[in-house]
Amino acid sequence: MSKQHTEVPYGTLDLLVLKTLDAMGRMHGYALARRIEQVSGDCLQLSQGSVYPALIRLEQEGWIRTDWGISETNRKVKFFSLTKAGRKQLLVEVSNWEKATALVARFLEASS
Amino acid sequence: MTLRRAAGRLLALMRKRRLDRELENDILAHLELAERDSVARGLSPEEARSAARRNFGGIEHMKEEHRDRRSFRWIETLLRDLRYGLASLVRAPGFTAVAVGVLALGIGANVAMFSLVDAVLLKPLPFPDPDRIVYVWEVPRPGVTNATSTLDFLDWKRLSAVFEALSAEHPIAGALSGDREPAHLSGKAVTADYFRVFATSAWLGRTFRPGEDQPGAAPVLVISHAAWQTHFGGDPNILNLRPVLDGEAHQIIGVLPPGAFDRDRAEFWKPLIFTPDQHTRGFHWLEVSGRLRGGVSLTQAREQMLAIDAALTEVTPLFKRDWTITVEPLDRLLVGDTLRRSLFIAFGAAALVLLIACANVANLLLAKGAARGKEMAVRAALGASRGRLAAQLLTESLVLCLLGGVAGVALASLMIQAATPFLLQSLPYTAGVSLDFRVLAFAAAVAMGVALLAGTLPSLQTSFGNLAQTLNGSSRGSSGAHSSVRRAIVAGEVALSLVLVCGALLLFKSLLNLQQLKTGIRIENVITMSVDLPLHTYASPQRAALFYDAIVERLRATRGVAQAALTTHLPLRWIGNGEGMQVAGVEKMVNVRFKRVDPAYFSTLGIPLLAGRGIADRDRDGAPRVAVINEALAARLADVAGMKTPVGRTVRLTTPSYRTKGGSLVEVQIVGIIRSERVGSPGAPDPPVAYVALAQAPNPQVKLIIRTEAEPAAVMPGVREAVREIDPGLPLGDIATMRQIRERTLSGASRPAWLIGVFAAVAVLLAAVGLYGVLSQAVTQQHREIGIRIALGARSRDVLAHVLRNALTMVAAGLVLGTLGAVALTRVMKSLLFEVSPLDPVALAVACVAMMLIGLLAAFLPANRAARVDPVTTLREEG
Repeated sequence: MSKQHTEVPYGTLDLLVLKTLDAMGRMHGYALARRIEQVSGDCLQLSQGSVYPALIRLEQEGWIRTDWGISETNRKVKFFSLTKAGRKQLLVEVSNWEKATALVARFLEASS
Repeated sequence: MTLRRAAGRLLALMRKRRLDRELENDILAHLELAERDSVARGLSPEEARSAARRNFGGIEHMKEEHRDRRSFRWIETLLRDLRYGLASLVRAPGFTAVAVGVLALGIGANVAMFSLVDAVLLKPLPFPDPDRIVYVWEVPRPGVTNATSTLDFLDWKRLSAVFEALSAEHPIAGALSGDREPAHLSGKAVTADYFRVFATSAWLGRTFRPGEDQPGAAPVLVISHAAWQTHFGGDPNILNLRPVLDGEAHQIIGVLPPGAFDRDRAEFWKPLIFTPDQHTRGFHWLEVSGRLRGGVSLTQAREQMLAIDAALTEVTPLFKRDWTITVEPLDRLLVGDTLRRSLFIAFGAAALVLLIACANVANLLLAKGAARGKEMAVRAALGASRGRLAAQLLTESLVLCLLGGVAGVALASLMIQAATPFLLQSLPYTAGVSLDFRVLAFAAAVAMGVALLAGTLPSLQTSFGNLAQTLNGSSRGSSGAHSSVRRAIVAGEVALSLVLVCGALLLFKSLLNLQQLKTGIRIENVITMSVDLPLHTYASPQRAALFYDAIVERLRATRGVAQAALTTHLPLRWIGNGEGMQVAGVEKMVNVRFKRVDPAYFSTLGIPLLAGRGIADRDRDGAPRVAVINEALAARLADVAGMKTPVGRTVRLTTPSYRTKGGSLVEVQIVGIIRSERVGSPGAPDPPVAYVALAQAPNPQVKLIIRTEAEPAAVMPGVREAVREIDPGLPLGDIATMRQIRERTLSGASRPAWLIGVFAAVAVLLAAVGLYGVLSQAVTQQHREIGIRIALGARSRDVLAHVLRNALTMVAAGLVLGTLGAVALTRVMKSLLFEVSPLDPVALAVACVAMMLIGLLAAFLPANRAARVDPVTTLREEG
């Protein structure tokens, strides 16, 4: 593989999941994992399975909701979509992320 | 963590299976979709499958993370351990039964004791703001409290500003009659403020209004809830009834709430109305209780009462000018020092039993752990951390202790039910003993504590076993490493048991001394009962005297009655009536206990005359007044007045009047001296007593004393018949044999002895079980060793001796420790012992020998088993 693989930065998987659901609407776990990989241009080293623990946490926080649907392989699976609270949370997470990166950027500039 | 998430996690805990199934389904769907995509991109089905798996990542790892994320992992673990612990207990029913039984005994004893201590000492009294309720006493000399007089009470009430309410009370009794069998009721005459002191309002109707204790007020009654149930069948129409009390119709204005007042001796309360001749300072008959105003301290109240006392000096009679006043909180009055100390000692004994039970269970767990060494080793080899194993073992002992706790609470409830009838007399009426929430919380705490105490060591021991050694089975040689710990535990058990046995023996010895206590009276074949003459039929003292003559004569003619006598105060009981004796040449009156008896009293009870004569038939109304004194009073007179030969001397004695509480100074001649009879509970010196002829100073309340020819209870029908013949409306109350009265007098001392005796027996039993367990285990472990020794020529006697010696070393170590403990602890009991030294060598020696014998007994079974080991079978088995 020529592309350099990066690990998912700590704590950002939630943000990625929320953002993806915001952009794509209702989807199942596989589609979600694939979508995150595709958007990252396949340079993110994501175990697809790791979206599931993230999803259950977000569901318990009330930021996403689940319902049942039929997959392309004709199996009954869970579909996930963003709730109102989830949309709000996404804004919070985005602004947190921006603050954090701005801070790091300032440090890098100052010390160069 | 947000609250919402916590709730989600808890919910997930309960939906564990469903969530696991859903996750499984999601994973399958995910892999299917991934495979389909890969196949669409041109991969072969096999390649597609492995690519899907690779991209997904570790499935099991993800599942674990999923479970961690969605719920509380430690709760899941705990639940699993609990289930596992329960299953392992079910698999070993013998072990479980013994351990739960031992724990139930230990926890049950403590729960029962705690419910007592809680009711008597810890719970607030069942009245609003109980710490504001006080009693006010006169103090003749330090440490002694005395009732007060009418005028003093009225002055206190008038002059004091520290009380919200101040009330006087006086015990009375009454005959309830009407269209029913006459009943004898105990009651209290109280001033109108009485229920304001206790801040208690009526449950039905009302309590007294101001003015209802003034002369001319209509006769009204307040009754207890229990009296309403017993005597009126809980009649809801009670407030419209006009029951006849002492021949006078009374209106019942209120029924008190159930609870504290039901346990009081009094069943009814009636207004205390002072008559003109009760307005004196010389007659001390009132107990005064008060409710302090908010914010007033006990010290402030005491100071003010002392100031009032000083202000009243001018009007105070000479003989009590140097008396002072004290204010005591209600709880001090209710819970005496002896009761407090008895409770603490009994609770301490129960705690020792619990410690022994803990030691036993720890021992059992260690033994079980030793047997499970292999299981633990295998689990450790499979990757279980030692912490996990220890936690699991600890959870197992927690399950055990919770089971023991439940059984213990059941046992405690049985114990409380069985003991309540005996306890009620010796507990204050405010104490309601029950298994309430506080007691259950205590039980739970004890069970947890026991789990930690008994479970920690075994769980560490068992989980830290050496892996390789255990699996190789190399521990099959001689006794393992745990055994020294277990032997130390057994020695500790023996030590604790010795302390308890020693304490119990001391108390029993003290009890024995009390039983042999000289009462100075005949105990066997004597029965007593009280008679209260209603004042409306027996309006004059002459009328009462006629009744005395008639009843005694009629009783003497009754079958089975050998002798009959009358008195105002039962023998062995304290004489509450104190009077003053004025002796020529002495300024201050001599305080005497005042008792009125008829001519037959001394001979019926077998009290010998030391000088002069007793009360005679000729000492009647109109004849010169006479008195007989006891030895103690003779000694006091010799001491105070230099009166060497009191017989024949004339003194002046305050004598209560017949109808009302009040009295006058009367000249009496001392005609005889009797040997002192016991007055009040043992321990105190005999008080000086003056016996006056009942016929010359009649009293409406008298006690009948009947000496019978055979079993005392058998004469009761005849006695009832006799009384009915003389006065059909007269109830007999407080029927008790002299034997019962003696028991009651001594009961303060006997109860802790029995309680601690029971605890000691349980402790010894537990120690024996512990010893047996350890030796039996040791014999099992050394089976092979013993087999070899026998094969090499050891005789079975040697083997027997070896095991017994093993036991004796443990017991001996325990006895040394225990003796030290007994020396340190029995000092605590000094105050409870009657004529026994807390370091009594006999008690200690007997306790040691008993423990030794019990140790040998417990060791004999395993020793016998060891001696009968068959070397051939043993060696073949394990070879």
